[in-house]
Amino acid sequence: MNTRNSHRARAIVLHTLDYGESDRIATFYTREFGKLKGIAKGARRSRRRFANSLEPFSFTQVLFSRRGGGDSLAMVDQCEIIDHFPMIRSDLEKSVAASYLVELTGAFTVEGKRNEAVFQLLVDFLSLMENGPFRTGLLSFFEIRLLGLAGYEPILDRCSRCHVPLDAGRTFHFSNSRGGLQCSRCVSVPEAAPALSLGTIRSLLHGKALPARNLSRLLLSPRADDESRRLLVSFIRHILGRELKSWQVLRQLRQLDAINVDTC
Amino acid sequence: MSRYAPPIERLITELARFPGIGEKTAARLANFILHESVEDARRLAASIMEVKERIRLCRQCFNLAEGELCAVCADPARDRGTVCVVQDPDALIAIETTGEFRGTYHVLHGVLAPLDGVGPDDLRLRELLARVDAHAVREVIVATNPDVQGEATALLINKLLAGRTVAISRIAMGVPMGGDLKYTDRMTLGKALEFRRGM
Repeated sequence: MNTRNSHRARAIVLHTLDYGESDRIATFYTREFGKLKGIAKGARRSRRRFANSLEPFSFTQVLFSRRGGGDSLAMVDQCEIIDHFPMIRSDLEKSVAASYLVELTGAFTVEGKRNEAVFQLLVDFLSLMENGPFRTGLLSFFEIRLLGLAGYEPILDRCSRCHVPLDAGRTFHFSNSRGGLQCSRCVSVPEAAPALSLGTIRSLLHGKALPARNLSRLLLSPRADDESRRLLVSFIRHILGRELKSWQVLRQLRQLDAINVDTC
Repeated sequence: MSRYAPPIERLITELARFPGIGEKTAARLANFILHESVEDARRLAASIMEVKERIRLCRQCFNLAEGELCAVCADPARDRGTVCVVQDPDALIAIETTGEFRGTYHVLHGVLAPLDGVGPDDLRLRELLARVDAHAVREVIVATNPDVQGEATALLINKLLAGRTVAISRIAMGVPMGGDLKYTDRMTLGKALEFRRGM
């Protein structure tokens, strides 16, 4: 049978792609259905059904239909904006960082797998950026939480090999291949990354556990910010096997001194 | 087995590479060309080759041009002190058709699109800065689209030009002429209020 079921979902727009004369293919992360890809027919012409709503990192209510199996491209009938995050859009650093958050979410999620915590994480961090200044550490805290939700949580509270705790008086290095810390006795020389300061490790653990609404109070020192960026960017590249496009753009902007995000 | 004779198949394949053209439309276009006179088909082929061989980018503004300079830059009556930055030649033509602008342009050939990997190095930004520095530019009008990417590009241009003695302005945004406020989305209406002007 070729019946189509209609649905309504709250969603963050992850990516859009112009298609044909006036259509747009959009990828959403929805609270109710996880990652969802759909085609919005006439989206570039219809100011009524899709007014300003199919833009990266917009928070929308999406009406769509798809065939019963749920594995086909959804037909997006209408989108209504819930929040277009005007303060993010009017700040270059925040706008590109928000693009990075949605690209990272898209990279670590698969279509059809619902995970409400991922949706909430994205909404929480976009709201943090919208309602406050862009703070060092925000990207790292998002990354470490998303890694955890996607099943790649790095082991940061002990040595991943001998399980010795952080307060054992040893230095710790991060191993991409083990997905966690290795103490100075366990680390194998060829893959040894620079030692991490305990302050950096504790800041990351703190940033992972703290409720999102309190994250604006947690500031990373320049050293902790630099070390955590190096650790997480390298670990994410190791998992994905590539560098995200928005990260490359962040780096170009940093070289132009147009933004302050540490891009290692 | 091929449905058409190989030369027709080849033509359909080539036409189907065009944006927005699927295989069915390509087959329809190929059939149209097939039924045209040899003279018409030759003229079409010649005009495609003419565009490829004769059109280049204007050395000043990077608009499409037949010679070294485009028609706008070659016009001595245009105000060179005012530069309108647009994302592509289509936007330039849209502004030109208004007949309201007497300055010159700068075509970026794209906008900042982090999700598509388009960064500042892919746009004609260095050329814009060089132009502002080398010529007596009084005002730069940023006329990129009022979407996330266009706004980010405008913010970047604003940052790059900060500290130079040039006025930077952004095109107005708001309710279209003949529009109805009650049917206007709240974001556009908000922008209309933000960009209001004295009477």
